[in-house]
Amino acid sequence: MANQTIIAFENVSKQYDEDLVLKDINFEIEQGKFYTLLGPSGCGKTTILRLIAGFTEATQGNIYFEKKRINDIPANKRKVNTVFQDYALFPHLNVFENVAFGLRIKKMSKQAIAIKVKEVLRLVQLDCFEDREISEMSGGQRQRVAIARALANEPDVLLLDEPLSALDLKLRTNMQYELRELQQRLGITFIFVTHDQEEALAMSDEIFVMNAGQVIQSGTPVDIYDEPINRFVADFIGESNIVEGNMLADNQVEFVGQSFECVDGGMRRNEPVEVVLRPEDLTITSPERGKLVVEVDTQLFRGVHYEIICYDQAGNEWMVHSTKKAKVGSKVGLFFEPEDIHVMRFNETEEEFDARLESYEEE
Amino acid sequence: MKKKKWSNLYLFLVFIFLYVPIFYLIFYSFNAGGTMNDFTGFTLSNYQTVFDDARLIGIVLNTFMLAFLSSLIATTIGTFGAMGIYFTKRRRTRNALLSLNNILMVSPDVIIGASFLIFFTFLGISLNFFSVLLSHIAFSIPIVVLMVLPKLNEMNASLLDAARDLGASTFGVIWKVILPFITPGVIAGYFMAFTYSLDDFAVTFFVTGNGFSTLSVEIYSRARQGISLEINALSALIFLFSICLVIGYYFISKDNLTKKQKRRLRQQSEAREIL
Repeated sequence: MANQTIIAFENVSKQYDEDLVLKDINFEIEQGKFYTLLGPSGCGKTTILRLIAGFTEATQGNIYFEKKRINDIPANKRKVNTVFQDYALFPHLNVFENVAFGLRIKKMSKQAIAIKVKEVLRLVQLDCFEDREISEMSGGQRQRVAIARALANEPDVLLLDEPLSALDLKLRTNMQYELRELQQRLGITFIFVTHDQEEALAMSDEIFVMNAGQVIQSGTPVDIYDEPINRFVADFIGESNIVEGNMLADNQVEFVGQSFECVDGGMRRNEPVEVVLRPEDLTITSPERGKLVVEVDTQLFRGVHYEIICYDQAGNEWMVHSTKKAKVGSKVGLFFEPEDIHVMRFNETEEEFDARLESYEEE
Repeated sequence: MKKKKWSNLYLFLVFIFLYVPIFYLIFYSFNAGGTMNDFTGFTLSNYQTVFDDARLIGIVLNTFMLAFLSSLIATTIGTFGAMGIYFTKRRRTRNALLSLNNILMVSPDVIIGASFLIFFTFLGISLNFFSVLLSHIAFSIPIVVLMVLPKLNEMNASLLDAARDLGASTFGVIWKVILPFITPGVIAGYFMAFTYSLDDFAVTFFVTGNGFSTLSVEIYSRARQGISLEINALSALIFLFSICLVIGYYFISKDNLTKKQKRRLRQQSEAREIL
């Protein structure tokens, strides 16, 4: 059961007219996990979802479902169900009939349908809403009906296409918890598409970061946050300070004209690299005790923390998240640990990155 | 204030202009004099003549039968035609199909009628009820397509994906999702086709033969022979029938509205109780 591959993409490409929207995609999806396809709009993440659901066909490559090639199986014969971005609830049917839609097609008995509909509606906390019309439901409720309708068919994989994007912040956060809990309770695979990095980090077992039709990096939320493979990922996921540097030797990197101890290695001597420091890893101290001396330029109160923008002598911008206030215009020191420094090579692919990580971690 | 007076007067004059001829016609249907020159006395005998005229009653029934059948068949074909245009993926092909449809809408009835006549004689189809039915179906289809297509475009395309996702076959998608959604358009198309068929003169005039006639053709040929007040009486009856239809439609739509409003009121009170 555990770690069994349920969906696999093999060299899948998709072309619309002249546009190549997916370029040679390869990945495997394991049963019972929560996956997120994360990327800016137009990066091809929804296309992957539509390929799995069967609404569109791959131009090249193979898609496997439980080891069987499903490229030519129509959408109505696949054991996946979709929650659509705009919910796509049938306006002429009430809540009960919407949820029962798939069950009626399967020609289940009336009793069995009634029991199943009640069950899934309870699952999404919509008991007693059976007789409501869709037009009478709020956005959050429609969202739940859409999830219930998909779950009623007992799919092996549930596909969710940016389902939370139309909800307000509070509701969205609540739904994140609920979706995560639902997935763990049901134990089925969820594939969630979003452009919201916080959503992705909060809910997923595994994230695929996508850009321009390619999977840039995949891994657990912690891996991706702590060890982004390149500037795009570092920038897209969370806030980050990225400066150019030089790899002097293993565990020794030079940036802003100074040499620092770090925990990365496996690169050429004096290789130009990019260095990432997360704003929350930087602490403000006196200029004498800091590893870097910067001048505070602006400060914004963000609620949980202050967002402080500083500049060093070389003119690099440094964003610091701190719970303590700083004085605008003053010179302060920035302190960070060697583990906080993350070094990225230019144009490194995910395989090379993983191989390098393994090589020097073994030593 | 003064401006409003003028606009009301204008509206009044327009309606007078539109309705006076009809009421003039109806007024003389009660004339005992036999002509429309002067009103000599009140009588219902003209109406008696209409109801005694078996041929005329037969033609009225024919006309309605023709309208009913032709619009039914045209609605079926037109609805699927609209779906065909909607599902045509290539934009250029779709626009071409739509233009071909629209050309039939704007081309004059006389030309359509004449071309049907040539077509039927060429194929050796005899001119009777069947030929009239065929041509009425043909000129009604574009109307139905035009009424149904906007409804299809209004439909959220992801509904179709959702239905397929839930296991519906192509037939299931059409029957359970598309048709319920476009029903208002289909009904509107049906009634448009019905009225077009009822009051068509030009096309019918060309393609009808011996033994079959519709009301408009019959009234035309009778009017040519000299005015008989029987026609006035018949017109009055048809006018009355139209008014009944309009009033009936008003009450049906009003009834629907109040049902919806009632439901909304009920919800509001429920919501208040929960709060």
